[in-house]
Amino acid sequence: MSDFHYEEEDFQGKFDGGTFVRILQQVKPYWRRVLFFVIAVGIVSLLDGVFTYLNKLIIDEGILANNQARLLEIMGYYGALILVQAVMVFAFIYLCGILGQRVMYDLRKKVFNHLQSLSFSYFDRTPVGWIMSRVTSDTERMAELVTWNLLDIAWSVINIGVALFFMATIHWQLTLIVLVLIPVLFVVAVWFKTKILVEFRQVRKLNSKITGTYNENITGVRVVKALNREKENLKEFDGLTSSMYRSAYRAAWLSALFLPVVQLLTALAVGAVVWYGGLQIELGGLSIGSIQAFIAYITFMMWPVQEMARVYAEMQQAIASAERFFSLLDSKPDVVDKPGAISAPSMRGDIEFENVTFYYQPEKPVLTNFSLKVKAGETIALVGPTGGGKSTIVNLVSRFYEPKEGVIRINGRDYTEYTMSAIQSRLGVVLQTPHLFSGTVRENIRYGRLDATDAEIEEAAKLAGAHDFILALEKGYDEAVGEGGVLLSVGQKQLVSLARAILAQPDIFIMDEATSSVDTLTEALIQQGMENVMKNSTSFVIAHRLSTIRRADRILVIENGGISEMGSHAELMRHKGHYYNLYMTQFRHDLEAKYDPFANGKNGTNGHSSNGAKKPEEQVA
Amino acid sequence: MNSNPPAQSYNYDLKQTLAERRLVGFWRMLTGFRLLYVGAVAFLGASALFGMASFFLIRYFVDEALQKPDLHNVLPVVALGFVGLALLQGTFSFLSGRLTAQTAEGIALRLRNYMFDHIQHLTFAYHDKMQTGELIQRCTSDVDTMRRFFSEQAIGVGRIAILFTVNFAALLTLHVGLALLSVIVIPPIVIASLYFFRRVSKAWEAYQEQDAKLSTTLQENLSGVRVVKAFARQDYERNKFEGDNAEKFQRGKRFMMMHSGFWPITDIICGAQIIGGYFVAALLVMDGTITVGTYLAYAGLLMNIINPIRNLGRLIVQMSTGMVSFDRVSEIIRQEREPLTEGVVQPTGSLRGEVVFENVTFEYEPDTPVLKDISFRVEPGQTVALLGSTGSGKTSVVSLLPRFYDYKDGSIRIDGVELRDYPRQYLRRQIGIVEQEPFLFSRTIRENITYGVGREVSDDEVIAAARAAAVHDVIMTFPDGYNTLVGERGVTLSGGQKQRVVLARTLLKDPRILILDDATSSVDAETEDSIRGALLRLMQGRTSFVIAHRIQTVMHADLILVFDKGHIIQRGTHAELLAQGGMYRRVYELQSRIEDELEKEIASVGLPL
Repeated sequence: MSDFHYEEEDFQGKFDGGTFVRILQQVKPYWRRVLFFVIAVGIVSLLDGVFTYLNKLIIDEGILANNQARLLEIMGYYGALILVQAVMVFAFIYLCGILGQRVMYDLRKKVFNHLQSLSFSYFDRTPVGWIMSRVTSDTERMAELVTWNLLDIAWSVINIGVALFFMATIHWQLTLIVLVLIPVLFVVAVWFKTKILVEFRQVRKLNSKITGTYNENITGVRVVKALNREKENLKEFDGLTSSMYRSAYRAAWLSALFLPVVQLLTALAVGAVVWYGGLQIELGGLSIGSIQAFIAYITFMMWPVQEMARVYAEMQQAIASAERFFSLLDSKPDVVDKPGAISAPSMRGDIEFENVTFYYQPEKPVLTNFSLKVKAGETIALVGPTGGGKSTIVNLVSRFYEPKEGVIRINGRDYTEYTMSAIQSRLGVVLQTPHLFSGTVRENIRYGRLDATDAEIEEAAKLAGAHDFILALEKGYDEAVGEGGVLLSVGQKQLVSLARAILAQPDIFIMDEATSSVDTLTEALIQQGMENVMKNSTSFVIAHRLSTIRRADRILVIENGGISEMGSHAELMRHKGHYYNLYMTQFRHDLEAKYDPFANGKNGTNGHSSNGAKKPEEQVA
Repeated sequence: MNSNPPAQSYNYDLKQTLAERRLVGFWRMLTGFRLLYVGAVAFLGASALFGMASFFLIRYFVDEALQKPDLHNVLPVVALGFVGLALLQGTFSFLSGRLTAQTAEGIALRLRNYMFDHIQHLTFAYHDKMQTGELIQRCTSDVDTMRRFFSEQAIGVGRIAILFTVNFAALLTLHVGLALLSVIVIPPIVIASLYFFRRVSKAWEAYQEQDAKLSTTLQENLSGVRVVKAFARQDYERNKFEGDNAEKFQRGKRFMMMHSGFWPITDIICGAQIIGGYFVAALLVMDGTITVGTYLAYAGLLMNIINPIRNLGRLIVQMSTGMVSFDRVSEIIRQEREPLTEGVVQPTGSLRGEVVFENVTFEYEPDTPVLKDISFRVEPGQTVALLGSTGSGKTSVVSLLPRFYDYKDGSIRIDGVELRDYPRQYLRRQIGIVEQEPFLFSRTIRENITYGVGREVSDDEVIAAARAAAVHDVIMTFPDGYNTLVGERGVTLSGGQKQRVVLARTLLKDPRILILDDATSSVDAETEDSIRGALLRLMQGRTSFVIAHRIQTVMHADLILVFDKGHIIQRGTHAELLAQGGMYRRVYELQSRIEDELEKEIASVGLPL
């Protein structure tokens, strides 16, 4: 995961019954398994109580009665029950453990599938790190709640119930002492567990800050050294690590205090039992075995109570996790297929914008009353300043967004009457910063058309001008590109993504040209590749390169949400308007770069670059 | 509760922990904390003793107290005895926990600080070859693994050993034969748990590996959402995720199944031991060898021995991961720091700024020189321009000045003193660097401007510097002005804006020697003008090294050096070089060629169609 800056969020979740029920519904399909593991753990818990009772019988009816036969009999039960318990232990770990994995699997699947259907607007406003935490850690906490936490509760409740039952059968008055003890223990345990949890949360937060500081100091080490900042940085860092020390120490301190306090409370109860029980023995109302059993029940009581307190403290966290998870699951896509939307095999045809208005926020319109007719097969170059609306136009053509007002028609039909997949499966897109997936070069190109043969893939790569560099790779088409394509250069990534688009044989081709320069050879290859794909499709290019602009059938200068100039290169040049200025500046710039003998290999591999900052690496999770 | 870090968390050079044997290393890691840690173990022992004693109190209660005629008077004492023992046991266990925490957290604090400081003192050569992610991983998760070694594992093993010793000794006092009989299953249980936890930790790693893979798939899907949607590949992505997700489920299942085997089996073995022990002990009571009270004490002590043993394997396996982490951390600690204040001369004033290179040769890696035989001379206040293609050696020349790297042969003198004789810190204070890709920290703009200036700076001074760097007006457009946070959590500055923030910082630093490494190449034409103005102001009165690859940037320099493949191939002023002909002249002449082509371009479209 690359986002180590992503801070652990605060959640002061109150208990929300609705959310809780909704989490429970996640295990509904598996209710039998839940029932079985609850039964299994119930038996385990019951037997724990029984063993203590058997110990009493060993003393009272075996040893003190000097009855060997009875002793053997009890030992027989004991052994048999241990076997039963072992089987039950196996059953609950198996059932509960696997169910936990299963629920996580289900939740991840559900949320991932939902994510695929969400619209662009959602991803524009939601950071990747936030979504990642929902899919990874929140699913884990929710699954934990309906499996292990549920199991712990079942075990604890049954354990306390069984102990109380046996105690009451032995001596009900003494049991009252225990009844006082339980709520006290519970309150104390909850208090401690909650406090400890707060400190741990603080520790996690500080931990991610420390990681972030390391990251920044290492990536910026050149600046740190050049400015002699070492001493001051260490002082600041010590501030962080000292806070970390304090929080971690407080958490450990509380944990170390917790168990003794609980033990002391139980010892008070044991003392009371010994005192009162001793008197009863004298009166003949109690046996030694019984007292021993009482002591055992009481000392053991602190475990279930502790477990319950822990679950109680963690439950708030799980509920908060679930709330965020469900908020993601409940978000609705805003671009959806209309009922009765039709599919069409081809999106070839004229594309028309009629009075289209679009905004991301109502008070800031990006396009207003925008109209444009594009003939099938035409190539449109979009130029103009950043924020003028170029990207919005291609986003609307791609139907990543839909017009707020007005209509976009493909082949004369309002494009919302088509299904989204009908449009998008006929689309070819090359982004400014090419995105590749981990896997081989071949797999990345095949992404354009999944049923393409290897021969077709190579053909597309040839058309894109990518074939030669791919063959030069050690494993050719089977070379892994690394996470996000890191093992390839920017130019190579562009070529691969171009091949991917060519393979798709799109009816509509969209390209956002990269602004960063690549070497001249790669540049020429990209141009050639673009030409190959634009031959057979209607194309929209957000253009930065003069060669691309000149080759377009029509050039649109987009400014302030509308078309400020439109025409062929020659027409616009003669007009001597904004386009003319833009073109001339760029032309001069290009020539300077082209003729500059020192600029060669600017983006090539320069053996040893000690220049600039190191790139932060992706951290292995 | 005093929760401030103990003083011994500081002032110890961790280099001394390096050792051939890892356990020795761990022991040295404890320097300054040994008393605390030994104390933690001792208190643990005390706590175990009082825990054990309560079973003897039970024996006394059953065997003797109940027989006494003045039971009424004895009972409260016995009852109080239980409470008192619990109080003692608890107090010591708390004290032990406290000392353990102080030790483990103190060691972690010391280690974190040391690593942080160490890394920022390591040489450029080291940083060039180490990956950032790898370094971070070692400083965070490996350090944390070592912290757990001290806070959980080492002390946990100690605890089990102490519990065993104390309780076993107590058993021996009860009845030797019975005691020996009661520990039969311990060797097999220890072996089984070692075997099991070693395997289970492998299964866990496999699970974690798949978890990382799943995260990558997810992350690529999310950050590539444009591509996914543009090709309508949602179903394909679902299938891909499903594959990884199912694999994670399978591995998780395997992990759980291993657990579901281990625990019941050991339950049965331990159960057999318990029954056997109870049975024999009961028989001994019945034939009068031991008392009922002894039986009860025995029953309790037995549990105290058997239950913790099952976790021994887990702790030992986890300790071995602590060892691996220690190796990874040691690898960094072993690296030599770059001394900052060492130097033959210890100048106090400012440099004049006279720089002389004489036959300098330099290489990053042995036998591949990047600078060969470089000689030139710069007078104080002069501007030198370094011209050449990427990899020709320009940047290497200026990297030598602040002693980022050391040259191999030849001599570099500043103000007549050999560069090697200056302390690095002094040089770096005297030299200001503006790089092609400026690096800002995720702090406020004000903090970035005053970063590394090394003295208190007033607001007026900051604003004056920002104005001179032509960035004040930009800063004022942000809602928080100078307190605006830069970077991921704050505003994103353009390349030109960052560049000017760095200029403001350099102005405040007021260095005698200035290095401008391609400072204007990554900004657009409009901002280039305002930066150029700021740069000229900055260069006033300082010895300046300007790296560029455009003639306009360098033509006014006092000395122009043209680099090729680590050599200086031409030198002189603009006029001299033009007269000389050669590379410089060729570059210059391109200028007029560009103007020609522009005219042609206009003419070509000006014709009526």
